[in-house]
Amino acid sequence: MVDLFRRKLLKTGAAATAMAAASSALGQQPTQQGGRGAFYEKGPVRIYYEQYGAGFPLLLIAGGGLSGTIAGLSNPFNAIDEFKSEYRCIAADLRNAPSGKSTGPLEVDRPWDSYTDDHLGVMDHLGIDKFMVMGFCIGGPFIWNLLKRAPNRVVAAVLAQPSGSRPEARNLFYETNSQGWGPELMKKRPEVTKEMVDRFLTKMYRSNPDFVFTVTRDFVKSCQTPVLILPDDIPAHPFAVAMEAAMLAPKSQVSIYPWKEPKERIPVAIRHIRMFLKSNRPAAT
Amino acid sequence: MVDLFRRKLLKTGAAATAMAAASSALGQQAVQADGTAFFERSGIRIRYQDSKRGFPLLIIPGGGLNSALSGLKNPFDTFGELQGEYRCISADLRNANTGQSSGPLEVDRAWDSHTDDQLALLDHLGVKKFAVMGFCIGGPFIWNLLKRAPDRVVAAVLAQPVGFRPEMPTLLYDGSMTGWGPDLVKRRPEITMDMIEKYLSNMYKKNADFVFTVTRDFVKSCQTPVLVLPDDIPAHPYAVAMEAAMLAPKSEVSLYPWKQPPERIPIAVRQIKSFLKAHRPAST
Repeated sequence: MVDLFRRKLLKTGAAATAMAAASSALGQQPTQQGGRGAFYEKGPVRIYYEQYGAGFPLLLIAGGGLSGTIAGLSNPFNAIDEFKSEYRCIAADLRNAPSGKSTGPLEVDRPWDSYTDDHLGVMDHLGIDKFMVMGFCIGGPFIWNLLKRAPNRVVAAVLAQPSGSRPEARNLFYETNSQGWGPELMKKRPEVTKEMVDRFLTKMYRSNPDFVFTVTRDFVKSCQTPVLILPDDIPAHPFAVAMEAAMLAPKSQVSIYPWKEPKERIPVAIRHIRMFLKSNRPAAT
Repeated sequence: MVDLFRRKLLKTGAAATAMAAASSALGQQAVQADGTAFFERSGIRIRYQDSKRGFPLLIIPGGGLNSALSGLKNPFDTFGELQGEYRCISADLRNANTGQSSGPLEVDRAWDSHTDDQLALLDHLGVKKFAVMGFCIGGPFIWNLLKRAPDRVVAAVLAQPVGFRPEMPTLLYDGSMTGWGPDLVKRRPEITMDMIEKYLSNMYKKNADFVFTVTRDFVKSCQTPVLVLPDDIPAHPYAVAMEAAMLAPKSEVSLYPWKQPPERIPIAVRQIKSFLKAHRPAST
């Protein structure tokens, strides 16, 4: 099945993916930034991930919506460089991000959960039980889903500029991904049709177009995991939703706001993140 | 001997004060019914509260020159929140009308005289290194502590700090001239309004800028982690709080506003707790 999937991919001319597959056969590969890159495979899913540094595990989820890749972790600050000296940083290209190396089926009936499968799958693959997570943009809904599905594994979470549903623009994510991500993916993957993309995005962004998409307010209210929220306020990252989640979560913290402008404020926010992670990581690490 | 001394003192009628003085004279800490005690040195008498267990945390209540233990529950119950994890130590400010600490009005070293008291109290309690959290006037006091005892303060929380507001340059002077000075003069006949005026001029007019007690260059070079929780009432200018936070190389800033709605206060308190935990020495 995996081989068949690989052959299909190669036929599409997805050169980068094929190159990565070749590297995978040789095991972990050094990355340009001094990390180790490798593939995790499970059935037809193939996730490219990289690891940096050592210490307590910190899963990093890049921004960029459905096009999120490891490269995105340099924005709005270089998360890997900031934390690799203290943590074992793990990051992956999102499944089917057009510019990334991770591939797998488009699970039209369980879009959010399919990504969470990959996040947990990589951690399982690496033998990691407990970990912390920091996610940007779409990392917000992903983190809430991780907290719902693996509450005993996530010891603390940082949600930076999290995505959320804006009442005045409920269709925002559906529309932008229908125009940006979907067509790009179809170019690379002929077996993915417009109808599949539409069903996938409809399920993801239209079946529960409210709050943080992946969990309810009641879940957030009961969530015992410490969370640090760094709000933003662009259309895709509504301040109101970030603050609503922060006010509901019983162990939340909130950063300085705005924290990205002027850019001199970013180090202040990073120090808050560092302190938050340090104060919440298990004592022995 | 002690009993005899106590009996004599009770006869004077000034029971609480006298009991404290008696114990002090005997080298004991006179813990009163309300859990406070007095510390004395060279004509200065400071009433303080000490929760005794944990890494030391000096808490400086707000209230300007009327900063006193009675202010410890505003805007949140500081001892209630932190005494489970920290040895919370706090005191009435020398000559606060709302407190019981007293001593000379050192007109030429207004800020430093209070810093003397804070450091002396910690010395008296055998505390070397400590964290500090201060409200309102606690801001300038903390910067002065960081200047005078940089190796002792491991981390500092400046909540709703006082600062100089250029558009209201005499605000703090005026406020204390009317709200603190006259009451002190009433209680302490040896203190005159002329002395009050000199003291307040030294405090608020002589170096009327920024955070009063230190320069921007000092803040820029300060290696102690500081967490700033800004406010923006006239006496607590947001701009000064943020300027200090942006200059300090190891600063953090809370959400803002953090007191309104009141449901935000627990979020700020959680940051304070994490901040203190992350910066206290590893073995505590």
